[in-house]
Amino acid sequence: MMKIINKKSKYTLISIASVVFVIAVWYVCINVLHLKAETVFPGPLTVVKTFVQKLYTKAPDGATLPVHLFSSLKVALLGYFLGVVFGVPVGIMMAWSKWVDRFVRPLFDLIRPVPGLAWIPMFILLFGIGIISKAAVIFLSTAVACIVNSYTGIRQTKEEHLWVGDVFGATNVQKLFRIAIPTALPMIFTGLRVAMGAAWMALVAAELLAASEGLGYMIQQGRYSSKPALVFVGMLMIGIVGLVLDTALHWLEKKVAKGMNAE
Amino acid sequence: MNEKVKERLLSVLCAVISIGLFLGFWWWGTQRTQLGKLLPDPGTVFTAMCGYITGTVGKCSLLMHMLSSLRRVLIGFVIGSLAGVSLGLLMGRYALARAVFNPLYRVIRPIPPIAWIPISIIWLGLGEQAKIFLIILAAFANTTLNAMTGARDVDPELINAARMLGAKEGQIFRTIVIPAAVPAIFAGLQVGISSSWASVVAAEMIKAENGLGWIIQAGMDNNNMSQILAGIIMIGVGGFALTCIMRTIEGVMCRWNKSGR
Repeated sequence: MMKIINKKSKYTLISIASVVFVIAVWYVCINVLHLKAETVFPGPLTVVKTFVQKLYTKAPDGATLPVHLFSSLKVALLGYFLGVVFGVPVGIMMAWSKWVDRFVRPLFDLIRPVPGLAWIPMFILLFGIGIISKAAVIFLSTAVACIVNSYTGIRQTKEEHLWVGDVFGATNVQKLFRIAIPTALPMIFTGLRVAMGAAWMALVAAELLAASEGLGYMIQQGRYSSKPALVFVGMLMIGIVGLVLDTALHWLEKKVAKGMNAE
Repeated sequence: MNEKVKERLLSVLCAVISIGLFLGFWWWGTQRTQLGKLLPDPGTVFTAMCGYITGTVGKCSLLMHMLSSLRRVLIGFVIGSLAGVSLGLLMGRYALARAVFNPLYRVIRPIPPIAWIPISIIWLGLGEQAKIFLIILAAFANTTLNAMTGARDVDPELINAARMLGAKEGQIFRTIVIPAAVPAIFAGLQVGISSSWASVVAAEMIKAENGLGWIIQAGMDNNNMSQILAGIIMIGVGGFALTCIMRTIEGVMCRWNKSGR
């Protein structure tokens, strides 16, 4: 028992040491040896300092970090919820009804291989550079991921379970809501998480191309004003928010789909 | 058998009807409503696309643009997935490697490759290197995780049996861990290739002189909707082709496993 704990703490120590080592090397290369100018590769201290400053200063892009963050989240969540509300039911219907599948599937197969962010130029021309075009891109990315996963989930329903439903005289609707959807729930949640990743990525791309606020806009401005420390802060922020959203969904999955995680 | 043929015919018929309806609705929308001012009708897009394929857009034809995008993806994907798979296998098998690299990997993984575009331009300039760097990242982030899971979930009984029969660690790694991880690795490669394809399009939209991302971006700048749509169609074709190729390779390599089918 003692040995296991020792082993575990040994590996934790190694992990900590590895992170400290990388940061130290980073610091030495940039701030001591000056291998790269800070305008190209900022040192760790500069990144931390920029992060703290950015919390309350508006330069150089006209908004503070929380404002950018909030604006990105607003667009991402708007597009995401619309995409989920549309995508999950469509996926379920496609899997449940042969006729819906026959008619919707060919159109869906046409859209699916196109990555969501490839629609950005078209939506910008159609809807302008405001919130609608970004939300539309995120909507598409989200909907595709949700449809694929809900579809696969419903298709995993065991035929025996449906037969049992038949024997007990369940109607089609009852079979769908009592048997198929609970079976598909873990897959649907996988879809929600994949969709969240896709939505967040599409949003960053849209903000890099055309925006006046948001995290993607912030890092693009950081490049233009050659402040790579700001770019670093933005990237880390994007990563952290993505991770938080994913963790939140994972937590929700555990609450809702409790005990359904069996393969 | 007859039933199967009938089902096939029916689905083909339905596909024709639904795509026909879609095109018809699109055509009707552009002819009869305000939409026509923004969107060209399907016929125009089709002729424009044929023109782009036989003639030129920018410096070369549409197909050459697609090839230059594909070239970037393939170079970046090969480097990135080789690095990702090797690191993932090591992290999955050896706790020491996991302790050293996993915290660093965990910092990098949640950052979408697209968010690296500005910094890659600062570091590597506007040329080819910056784009390939992005694709390496996209492929790396996705393949590492799957290879790690694959190598970690190898049936311990197999490893113990090999050890009992006197296999050395190197033999176990080569003959048991790697083959057992192949299905998981391919799951990662599948995700990686589509993510790489999306990243190359994004990178070319930000800054490039050729490639499919450039096509749609230039179409937006010139307010040329046919060019954007032609670009989107080609991006779809390219993405589809890449997934099909990956799936074929997976089918050959994982024939023994049900995920290879």
